[in-house]
This record gives sequence, structure tokens and C-alpha cells, in this order.
Amino acid sequence: MKFTHKIKAAALIGAVSTVALMSGCSMNPSASLNGMKGGGHEYLLTVSRPNQLHVIDTETNEVVRSCDVPGIFGQGTVEPSPDGRIAYVGTNKWEDVAGFDITNCDMVFFTKQSDNNVTVKSFVSLAVSRDGKELYTIQNPTRKLSDRYEVMQPQLAVYDTSAGLDAKPVRTFPVDRQITKIMAMDTGEVILGGNDLQAINPQNGEIRILSKLQNWDRAGDKWVQPDAFAMHSLGEHVDEFIMPYFTIKWNGDPGDMEKAEFWWGMSRVDLKTGEVEQTETVPFEFIVFNFITDPADSNILYGAFNTLSKHDIREKKTLAVHNMDHTYYNLNMTHDRTIYVGGTSSDISIHDPETLEKIGSIQLPGDMSTSAMRIAYLK
Amino acid sequence: MNNNKSKHALLSVSALALIGAMLTPAVSWATDGETVIQEKCLSCHTRTGNPDAPYSRISEQRKTPEGWQMTLHRMQLRNGLVLSSEETQAVIRYLSDEQGLAPSETAPFRYVLEQKPNIVEDVDPAYAEMCSRCHSNARFGLQRRTEGEWKELVNTHMAIHPTTELHALARDRRWYDIALNETAPKLAMDYAFNDAAWKKWQTMARPALQGSWSVSGFMPGKGDYSAILTAVKIADDKYSVTMIGHYSDGSELRGNGTANVFSGYEWRAGLMLDGVSVRQVLAASEDGSSLTGRMYQSAHDEIGGDLNAVSGNAIVGLSPSALKQGETSRVTISGAYLKGSVNLGAGVKVLKVLSRDADRIVVEAKASASAAVGMRDVSVGGTKAKALLAVYDSVATIQVSPPQSLARIGGNGGKIPKVQSTYRALAFSAGADGKPGTDDDMRLGYMPASWSLKPQNEVAEEDRDLEFAGTIDSNGIFTPGDTGLNPQRKMSTNNVGMLKVVASVKDGNNTIEGESDLLVAVPSYIKRAIQ
Repeated sequence: MKFTHKIKAAALIGAVSTVALMSGCSMNPSASLNGMKGGGHEYLLTVSRPNQLHVIDTETNEVVRSCDVPGIFGQGTVEPSPDGRIAYVGTNKWEDVAGFDITNCDMVFFTKQSDNNVTVKSFVSLAVSRDGKELYTIQNPTRKLSDRYEVMQPQLAVYDTSAGLDAKPVRTFPVDRQITKIMAMDTGEVILGGNDLQAINPQNGEIRILSKLQNWDRAGDKWVQPDAFAMHSLGEHVDEFIMPYFTIKWNGDPGDMEKAEFWWGMSRVDLKTGEVEQTETVPFEFIVFNFITDPADSNILYGAFNTLSKHDIREKKTLAVHNMDHTYYNLNMTHDRTIYVGGTSSDISIHDPETLEKIGSIQLPGDMSTSAMRIAYLK
Repeated sequence: MNNNKSKHALLSVSALALIGAMLTPAVSWATDGETVIQEKCLSCHTRTGNPDAPYSRISEQRKTPEGWQMTLHRMQLRNGLVLSSEETQAVIRYLSDEQGLAPSETAPFRYVLEQKPNIVEDVDPAYAEMCSRCHSNARFGLQRRTEGEWKELVNTHMAIHPTTELHALARDRRWYDIALNETAPKLAMDYAFNDAAWKKWQTMARPALQGSWSVSGFMPGKGDYSAILTAVKIADDKYSVTMIGHYSDGSELRGNGTANVFSGYEWRAGLMLDGVSVRQVLAASEDGSSLTGRMYQSAHDEIGGDLNAVSGNAIVGLSPSALKQGETSRVTISGAYLKGSVNLGAGVKVLKVLSRDADRIVVEAKASASAAVGMRDVSVGGTKAKALLAVYDSVATIQVSPPQSLARIGGNGGKIPKVQSTYRALAFSAGADGKPGTDDDMRLGYMPASWSLKPQNEVAEEDRDLEFAGTIDSNGIFTPGDTGLNPQRKMSTNNVGMLKVVASVKDGNNTIEGESDLLVAVPSYIKRAIQ
């Protein structure tokens, strides 16, 4: 895998060089990247307290630079641009979004979503269009009136990523409540990870159902409505979006726990086509905060929390479980299948995908708490 | 700056504000709560023009004094309200008196006002997941609102705690729609603003609480006590309080302080008792003949116990409250100014009066070997108490009280102290059928026990909870472990754990054991007047 990846990287570097030559900007592409590697080189992005974005080279597992994020630590949401150059960070108690050039920490985008007496919260919902031109958030506004609060309709806010440091939405469209993670697809639509999985057209606000969850059609006396939730990495390394869920199958009367089966499940969306696969994956045996797919085999999932685990969803079996040194919230994977497990505390734990054994560690200056751990493929 | 200071005081001692009034002079009550509302609250709230509900939001809610205190705290913290301590007290008093709860309305939930730990509530399923996954039932059960106000409360949740609808047990349903359109209307029915009980209570004569009271109670680490509580009126609904008495081991109990009475019956007193700051949260009976509730340490509200007071001279308690057939024992009869001979009922002989004090009589008594098993009335001179003393053949079962409990790790240099938990052994005999656990079992009262701990289950055993989670002393007081990561534990976890508390009670040559579950949990970082 690594070999193939290098060839691919070399090809991409070549392409970038060609563009650079044609534009006459630079003879050396790495100069414009401030010493960082282009060609799809993978940089791990995360946020730690007090409020810093960290750019980590996955080849050396060293922190390349740390950018100060304005405002109070939010939830640590990070979204890389498709060219890997810009990292958009949710900050200031879930309210603001700041975009940084990861090659020099320059802030190139900023939006303050709250205004006057309207407080706007975005619950980890941050996405960038596949061409990098638009940024999307889900806004959950409440208005403070003189002696009461007004709960307002949530909306998709569309920003122009070139709008600079005082960006305002160029379009807004009403959406459902309870939306957390969102992601853009090649169809131009944005996946809304909420009570059901929906896709919204950010040009006209049209919404279609991708995968029913809260409103699924299964008989209530056979299945419990799924508890679907996602805050973290969801599969950009393989161009997919996973919304994990937990459900109970009643084999006896509803509520008869003796006969019941407890299941993990997922709705998995192909970002290239918008196709959805909804399935129960493996029996629920322990808590997992999020799942990612093995780039080499889409039947293999990895999950993390108190354990790092490996699952075969075709066989519906857990293949391996590794006890972690402490609780982690989050995991991601590079193209060479190295697993990075992070969140909660101040260290990222690095693991082998075959044995799940720990093979390295990255120490950060502060706790990651709920922060995302995303991968930028720097072009 | 003043605003910041008052916020800090409220934050750090939120539950104290009501009792803090004792520090302000009696003349402070001259501050009129309604005037303060008009001057300070109407910069945001509005006059409605409706004489039945003159102020927007405020006039369509009824709460306990603690409930109003929390409201004012939130207004100061979030909405820029600036009130002096005197003004705060005046507003709490005015609203508690004019828009409070009747005794019958607070009766099901008094434990939360009393800061009584380890209560397991039986919650209506309609509220269990919508409200009680975060709050006690008492938190909303001690409020009365119109439907519109219950709906505004839902909106306040959405604005102040916007992730409420994303929690587990919220994100699997349309939480906001359900809260607004199903839960709020039900709350308006079950906890209605317009309720006959409050209207009736407002017209009733308020109990007179001045005078002397016969008191019995229990304090962990000290044991049973008896005392005379004297209340001297110093202003309307404000009393100077003294308590003088004895613990069951003979040591003296002495304290004094001040009590405020809200809504005509809610007694809130702060005393220095033997050098320790304590509080009393009591309810006066409607006829003013008794005060019942709990007294606890101000700094550790889990260290406290029931307190019962009866007006004038009365027998209010017996320690111990059971004698074994053929046994000779020292018995303390609690009650103020008891005069005359002591009678403990058929088959029980008072061998000797060991001491007589204003608050109690201590006797040596023997139950004859042939004394019939059962309850006895107790009398001293002409003062009588029904079914106070049990004569028993043998102890059949021991219940550890409370049956389920929670302690919290803390200390270790951090800001949050440890929360202990305290236990008592409650004994029963088998009754006429000879079978324990049946309806005719006879309650013998609390008995001395030796205390120990064991793991609650296999996980607790494997995680060595017994080693880390805490220790229990000879008084049945459990002290949890230090807070913070513990590198000696699996995953460097903190000192939480699942234990069983075991009481061993000697009955002749037998030892009877009882046990209860204890969860040693993480610190609670937010302390509210009503949890």
C-alpha cells in the first residue's frame, strides 16, 4: 500500500509542479508549502486546549506547527479543504468558524455566527464542498428576548470560502433539528447527519432522505428505534460517511432483555455516488465512539473508546480487541492503514492495523477533549 | 464589583442564602419584596395589565423559597440582575409568601429541600426520560406553572443548554416537539399553577412557632440526641433559636442561631451547634404542633439526620427503642420537662432512674424473660407516647439504611470536597408467624453494628474497588477515596467503585448481617439548592 501511495504522491507532485511552472510562481513546489510536503502527503489535524490547531506529519509523527485559534475552546471540530491547505476549525463554544492555512497558520477565513441577541450554535456540523469553494454549517439559533427565549428554526448556512475574515452566509435553507455531523458529496449535496440521514442541495435547499433512522420503517415490537450519533471522523480517508447507531432486536416480547439482541449498526454513504448501505454490523459488546473503514477491505471496521477494536461486518464478528491505556473518543487512518487514536487526553496513540498493538505516540501540549482528528491530503 | 462579589457568594454557598438572612439585622425585613421586584425586575419583565398576574413570567409561577432563590441566582448570573443580599432576601420572602407552595404540595418532595441524600424516586414514565434523566423529580415537582410557563421553561432549556436535544434518550426522538407539546401540557396538569391547596393555605391561620419544643434526632458520628429547642420571635417570621440537650452517650449538645419561616410553615434555621455550623430544614404542621425535617452540617449536607420536634412537653423519642426479653439496658426517654414516674409498659421494669435532665430521662430497665413480644406505650407522669418501645425475642433481619447510596470522590487538593455516606442498621424481629420478611415483622429500630465493605460484583472485584474506593468507620460513616487519576488502577482510572456496605449486629450469641449497595461516583461539580 505504501509503495502505491508513494507512486500516487509522486504523480501528484509532478502535476502540481507543472501547474507551478505554467503559472510561473515558483520553480519549487515545496517552497510555497513552507517546507511541508505536497502531492497528497497526509497531515493529521486536531485541536487541543486551550485552543490550538495542531498540524502533525504522519510520516514523522511530529507536530509541524500549532496555530492559535481565536475564542474559547469549542468542540474541536476540524474540516480540511479538499486541497488539504486550509483547516476550518469550530471554535468559541460551538459558535464561530476559523479557517487556517496549515502551511503558515495564517487565518484566511472567519465567521462569527451569533449576532446581537441571536445565539447560533453549530453542533460539530462543518463541511466543505468537494471543490473547496463553499463551506457549510448547520446553525441552531435561539433569540434572547427581554424576558424569555425564542427557539428558532435550524438552517443550513452556505459560506463562500473566499469571503475572508468577516464571512456571512450567502444562502440559508431550513433544516430539521438535531443535526450533528455533515459532509459534502460529489453529487453537490450535503449529508445531514441528524435524526434521519438526509441530503440537502445547497443551491436550492431541497432535501431528500438518504437513510431513515429515527423514523425507520421497522416494526416497533421487533426493533428499538436506533440511537444514532456521530461527533468525529467519519471516513474521508475512503470517501465515505458513517453514521453509527445502536439498536435492540426483540426476539421475545418488547422489553424482554433475556431474549433480546443488542446490535451496532451503521448507515454508510459513498461520497462519490450518494449510495447508502444501512446494516447491523456487529453485536454490541462494549462502547465504541466511532467507526472507520479499512481502506483495503470495506468489510473491516475499526472502533475506539476504552478499547481499539477490529470488526468483520460481513461475518458480523469482532476480530480483535486491544485495551487502551485510557479512554479515547476518536480514531482515524492514513492510506498506509496506520491507525491514530485520540481525543479526551493529550496524547494520540498510534496502532498497527493487523495486531492493533501500539506502535507509537504523539504528545500534545493540552487535552483534546472532544476534538476531531482529521487528515489533510496536502496537494 | 459588588455584583461579582454577590455572584461569587451565591455560587459558593448557594444553599446558604436562605439561612444567610440570619446575618442581616431584623430591620432588614422592612425592605419590601414587591417594591424590589418593581424596581429591579421590571427593567426586563413587563407589567401585563392583568391584576391577577401583574408581571410577565414572574406572576405565573409558584415555587419553594429554594426555588425562588435559584431563579434569582440565575437572573444575577445570566441576565445582569444586581441585588443586595437584603433585597434578595426580601424578594425570596415576598414570592415564597405570595407565590409559594402549600404544605400538601411540598410533602412528596421534602427530601430534596432537606438535602437528604440517597433517595430513589419513583418517576412517572412520561417524565423519566424527558426530565428526570438530568433532574430529580423533586426539581420540577416543587414548581407550579401555567402551561405557557412550562413551555417557556422548555425554551429556556434549549437556549441555555442547547445540546439537551442531542443527549442519549433525546436524540432518538423529536425531543423539542415532545417537550413542548406533550410534556409541558402534562406538567401543567400535574403541577398546576392554579391549585386549590395553595388558595386554601393562604386563607388559613399561620402556625405560631414561638415557644419551647421537645426535640429528638440523630446525627451521624454522634448518635441519637434529645434537646429543648426554644424559639423567641424577633421579627415577623423570624426567630432566635437555642437548642440545649444531650447526645445518647451523655455528652452535652448546645447551640444557637436564627430561624426564618417562609410561606407560613417552611422553617429554615442556621445554628452553631457545639462549634459546628448546622442547618435545619423543617416543616411546621398545619396546626403548629410539630416541626419535622432534617438537621445537617452546613459544609457537608450529607452528614445529618431526621429531627422531630413537638410543641411543649412531650415524649418524642426512645433510645434504644427495643428491649430483648430478659435483657437489662439503659434507656433514654427524650422529651422536654418530663416529670413523674416512668412506665415502659407490661413486663418491663424500670430498675433505676439514672438521671433526669430538662430534655430527657435516663433509666435502667429490664424486660422480663416472659414479657410478651410486642409494642409498649411509654409514659412519664401524665405524658404519654403510643407504641414507642418494642419487646422482642430475637433479631431476625437487619436492613442497612439507606438500601442504595452514593458517595463521591473528592479532596486531594481539588476544590470539590469528598461526599461521604452514612449508614444505620435497622432491626426487625420475625413477628408472630416466626418468618422474617412478612407483614407481621416488628420494627425494633436502629441498633449498634460493626461495619465492613465488600465488592458489589465481579467487575468490582476484578477492578479491586475495595482497595481504592474508600473506607467505613465504626460509626457507619463511609469516606470515599481521593479524586483524580490513579496510576495504580486499570487505565489510570479514578477511585470510583461499586461496593456493598455490611452491618453486623450482635443478638445474644448470634450475629445478624444486612447489606446495601454503595456506588462511589465522580465529583458533582455543580451544587444547587434543589438538585
